Amino acid sequence: MHSFLLNAVPVVVVGLLVAAVLRARREPLWAEAFRRLRRNRVAMVALCVIGIYGLIGFMDSIGWQRDDARVTVIDWLFQRPRERTYSAPLATMTTGEPRPHKLLGRHLLGTDGVGDDVLYLTLKGVRTGLIVGGFTSLIVTPLALLFGMLAGYFGRRVDDVVQYIYTVLDSIPGILLLIALMMVLGRGLVQLCVALGVTSWVGLCRLMRGETLKHRDREYVRAARALGVGHARILARHILPNLLPVLIIQVTLGFSGLVLAEAILSYLQLGVEAGVGSWGNMIDAARMELAREPIIWWNLVSASTALFILVLAFNLFGDALRDAIDPRLRSS
Amino acid sequence: MLRYVVRRVLYAVPILLGVSIVTFVLFYATSSPEQMARRNLSAKNPTKEQIQEWLHVHGYDKPLAVQFRKHMTELFLFRFGKSDTTGESIGARMRAGMGPSLAVASLAFIAALLTDITFALVLAYFRGTYVDLWGTFQCVLLMSITALVYIMGGQFVLGKVLKYFPLAGYQSGLHAWKFVLMPAIIGVVSGFGSSVRFYRTVMLEEMNQDYVRTARAKGVSESAILFKHVLKNASIPILTSVVLSIPFLLTGSLLLESFFGIPGLGSLTVDAINGQDFAVVRAMVFLGTALYIIGAILTDISYALVDPRVRLE
Amino acid sequence: MTHCIRALCRVRAWLPIASLVTIAAVLAGILLAGCSNNPYPPGETARKVLYRAISDDPRTLDPSVSYTVSEGAIIDVIYPAYFRYHYLKRAPFVLELNLGAQQPVRTPCTFTEMRNGKRVVRRGELWTFRIRRGVRFQDDPCFPHGKGREVTAADIIYSFRRMADPSVPCPVRSFFQDKVVGMDEYVASNVRRMQRGQPADYHRPVQGLQLDPHDPYTFRILLNQPYPQLRYLMAMHFTTPQAHEAVEYYGAAGLARHPVGCGPFVLAEYKPRQRIVLRKNPSRYPEYYPTEGASGDREAGLLADAGRQLPLVDEVVYTYIREDITGWNLFLQGYQDSWGVTQTNYQQVMSRQGELSPEMRRRRIRMFRDVSPNIMYFAFNMRDPVFGGYTPQKRKLRQAISLAIDANAFIDLFSQGMGRPAQFLIPPGIFGYDPAYRNPYRQYNPQRAKQLLAEAGYPGGIDPKTGERLVLHYDNAATTAAGRQFVSLVQKQIEAIGIKVESRSYRDLVWQQRVDNGEFQFINYGWLADYPDPENFVFLLYGPNKRPGPNSAAYNSPEYNRLFEQMRAMDDGPQRLAIIKRMRDIAVEDCPWIFLQHDESLGLAYHWLHNIKPHPVANDSAKYLRVDPAERVRAQLAWNKPDFRPPIVLALFMLVTGVPAVRTVRRRRNRRIRVGNQEAR
Repeated sequence: MHSFLLNAVPVVVVGLLVAAVLRARREPLWAEAFRRLRRNRVAMVALCVIGIYGLIGFMDSIGWQRDDARVTVIDWLFQRPRERTYSAPLATMTTGEPRPHKLLGRHLLGTDGVGDDVLYLTLKGVRTGLIVGGFTSLIVTPLALLFGMLAGYFGRRVDDVVQYIYTVLDSIPGILLLIALMMVLGRGLVQLCVALGVTSWVGLCRLMRGETLKHRDREYVRAARALGVGHARILARHILPNLLPVLIIQVTLGFSGLVLAEAILSYLQLGVEAGVGSWGNMIDAARMELAREPIIWWNLVSASTALFILVLAFNLFGDALRDAIDPRLRSS
Repeated sequence: MLRYVVRRVLYAVPILLGVSIVTFVLFYATSSPEQMARRNLSAKNPTKEQIQEWLHVHGYDKPLAVQFRKHMTELFLFRFGKSDTTGESIGARMRAGMGPSLAVASLAFIAALLTDITFALVLAYFRGTYVDLWGTFQCVLLMSITALVYIMGGQFVLGKVLKYFPLAGYQSGLHAWKFVLMPAIIGVVSGFGSSVRFYRTVMLEEMNQDYVRTARAKGVSESAILFKHVLKNASIPILTSVVLSIPFLLTGSLLLESFFGIPGLGSLTVDAINGQDFAVVRAMVFLGTALYIIGAILTDISYALVDPRVRLE
Repeated sequence: MTHCIRALCRVRAWLPIASLVTIAAVLAGILLAGCSNNPYPPGETARKVLYRAISDDPRTLDPSVSYTVSEGAIIDVIYPAYFRYHYLKRAPFVLELNLGAQQPVRTPCTFTEMRNGKRVVRRGELWTFRIRRGVRFQDDPCFPHGKGREVTAADIIYSFRRMADPSVPCPVRSFFQDKVVGMDEYVASNVRRMQRGQPADYHRPVQGLQLDPHDPYTFRILLNQPYPQLRYLMAMHFTTPQAHEAVEYYGAAGLARHPVGCGPFVLAEYKPRQRIVLRKNPSRYPEYYPTEGASGDREAGLLADAGRQLPLVDEVVYTYIREDITGWNLFLQGYQDSWGVTQTNYQQVMSRQGELSPEMRRRRIRMFRDVSPNIMYFAFNMRDPVFGGYTPQKRKLRQAISLAIDANAFIDLFSQGMGRPAQFLIPPGIFGYDPAYRNPYRQYNPQRAKQLLAEAGYPGGIDPKTGERLVLHYDNAATTAAGRQFVSLVQKQIEAIGIKVESRSYRDLVWQQRVDNGEFQFINYGWLADYPDPENFVFLLYGPNKRPGPNSAAYNSPEYNRLFEQMRAMDDGPQRLAIIKRMRDIAVEDCPWIFLQHDESLGLAYHWLHNIKPHPVANDSAKYLRVDPAERVRAQLAWNKPDFRPPIVLALFMLVTGVPAVRTVRRRRNRRIRVGNQEAR
């Protein structure tokens, strides 16, 4: 059940994005934003990079059964024979053991301690990273939207309750709450997403509440109330569309923070399970490898570079998106 | 002003209550005390009596309601009890750890503040030139590198290759200086990218305001505008993030302390995670929360002091 | 140019000035600190101090509770026992008198006890011990006027009583409980008292623990069976004399942090997570370095300090070092006197031929080899319906899996080739180890394994009843990357003969519980000797020791059990060896365990550290080691000169690249000023 859910996530996210893009092209506000975005070359490059990562994650979610093991497209394309132990990129012999042995195949980025191909592991880590960001965002967004809109729109009691809840959660320092949750829930991808979701929905909720407050007293909303339109319809048709720009920008910018958090939690041995491919686990293993002589660097460099490029792409794209959607929000 | 402070402190009480309930549910309701007992007894095969004895000493054998009452009263009195793994007083351990955490964190804090604001000013001064573009891009680049790489790389370069500082460890008293410098420098560098970017944003926003254009038209020099007008007005949002982070000087950075062997509160937490010591993690969560609330109150007060438009109500 | 100077002179420019001042202060700080990366207080390395490392704070320094090797290194030199191991003699290990004044006298004797309400007369063994006079406890506030008093036999009996106190989690209680007469009832009565909320009774007479009314230095232990291994137990810190004043003054929790002993060192400083310092005990009793050793010791220089009073250093400093990399780097800088060879540093330390690399020899580092008396193994659950059992089919199944495991691969990949493939439980150095013996089911042979698998009824690994592959569930606690590598190799090797291996990883606590409850099919485990006697190994397969005892496989062979009861109390000799060989053959055929390896350890030390001879069982080497501080200081200064070139280059680079920008900005501003009111931005 777990794996079905996790494999569905990248597919769902990609689908949502594509649908959103197609739908939004028709709206004048969004069309204008797209035009501005298209002109920004850096943003387009970043988008392509994100697209490539998304494609890799997508390919890793489609799989079939072969000999009682699940094989995905990535496995089929990139899995190489497993060696005895470490080996340098494009080397022919193993390294890190008393008597080097001949390798069974060529490895573009070398192999890690168990003998797995590092390029293959890095690509497997893409899916984990995207799930951590995507699934968590999927958890966070409806929660934050719901509570934020309710608090901002209805005010008074509802507002007090929601504010109390998120002040309590917000008061616990994020990293400590994450640690506490992971210690209790145990290691695992789903548990990690749940824990990250619980700790990060507060910031988004506050923002949504602020935006709802801004739009609640607009003339057209008051007119709709006077006409007797129900609360649900007002929220859905008048307020929600105005929240979307800010929401999208925040989610994009927050994505990179989530992926980085996974790396740190895996270092603390609280992230995903040790067997699942993840950049955090690779960096954690690299701690020991850096001190060896000759240095075993390819594991760490691979994982951190892949992580770095993804985070950078999201940061750059998020910035450009913000500039394109609302120049008034522009910061530079 | 005093009334405001008192009211804020009173409002903090239900928050703390909520936090303790959350931590209680997290820790007591989900783990088996017997497992904890086995872990903490050094015998190869503890007998039932030994397990019972350990549970009794640490108070895990009472019914859940009694444990809850004890948990709440002790937390609010700041009596954190004994560590599960070592059996020593958590309060004493925390007091001992505050000094080192404060040393590293305050040095990093002050140095970061000065460096970040200076570089942000420099970028604002050179806005539009290649220095600005290059600088901003560098900031985004630096932001995207995970803290782990900074720490591992920094220890390698500064400690091993250049041999400026001891690799790890700590000594109390005056000698703490040489152990504290390397983690502080790495702390500053790892936070550099995002802080400079943020401060630069704030300053440029100020520079686009009307009064700056007026001053420039009146003939005031660029540097005077930067340092006198922009800096003072930009200090409000900067102050928010700065004052909010002061209480966290005590809790320390988890990663920095554990990697460099600084025996502060951060490494206490990391040890507790590794040892599955729930008692210590509970205490740290509570302390962190209390400090956060203090920080929030301080922020609001500093707002009122700095910005005459803000009135506390 | 003048514009810049004027700008700097103005008060508004305080901010950049402040940051410049901070940077200058930091640099000054570096210079003030002596440009040194020496992590110790100034001048300490020039004294006769031995530097060691601990990776974790000791959980307890209470001698009745502590059971780990790292804690033992500290405890054993604070709390001496009746015997100590001869530092230099090996194979066989020799016990010398430490606190004891005479070798214990063993006399057979009879005693009466109640069994099922009737008085029964039984035959047992009485050991008479006498400790030396003039041994004093260290000076401590728990004694009147702070002065330590003389140690008497009552203090050792007090230690035994602490073992029987249920509030003291003593891990070796079971060694004594069923052998010392009256101990069982004593423990039971203490448990009853505890359940009633009363503390244990330290004055109730116990038949097996006897003080001599005429001689305060003599005590006797009455055993209900011959047990020669009692000698070894009298060398462990569980039987050290303890002062009841210390226990009453500090309480059990306080004693864990504040040891009060009578040994060569006292605990002088304990800063949690920073350092632990042991200092020479000014009121220690005279103890001397051995005057003779094993063959080759004199040539190796190990008898240079023969006859000198111990300890040979004034202080031992344990620094808290959590990461292995950090410790290794500190060793390379000369700030640790010795370090172990691990996966991290193996390639730097060893050359291809398995010797010390030239770089190490240039630094005058020496290497020493040692074999730990331990056994790493895989165990089957003998009660499991699929893999357990004693029929020929089941035996063949286990033997087949045993033949598929290649111990050399494990040793190469996880121990850097430092280890010996195990043929049976008993490790080298312990009586009963036969270097010529080859276990027929531990000679890696996947072909033969497949054959045996077919004979066991699973041709190709397929279970004929279900048509599916046979599945072996491997329960482990491998939650780290390193542990995972181990599990992967096991899977790879067993799956090569056709059996599918499903690995289930649990947290340490949970895994331990599953093992203790017998909820497993296949695990990997290890055992380290408590004392150098074969009984301490072969008892791991003794039927009655099943869970919660250490026989986790629940192996139960009546013949093996019978032979064990015969040999356990025998003295070493050809008769004992013959019995051990028969036990070995039985266990090998039944194959409840797959014996993996005996670990070897390699250590490195600098030339200024003398008298190193690792003892696999004893843990009190700190008192025999000697350092040459002048040499050490010289080396540290030579190896740790800071390099200032990179930051200077970096600063110059930044200055140079900044110049064009300054010019651009000034030009832009001047243009603006000149244009004046007509300026449109």
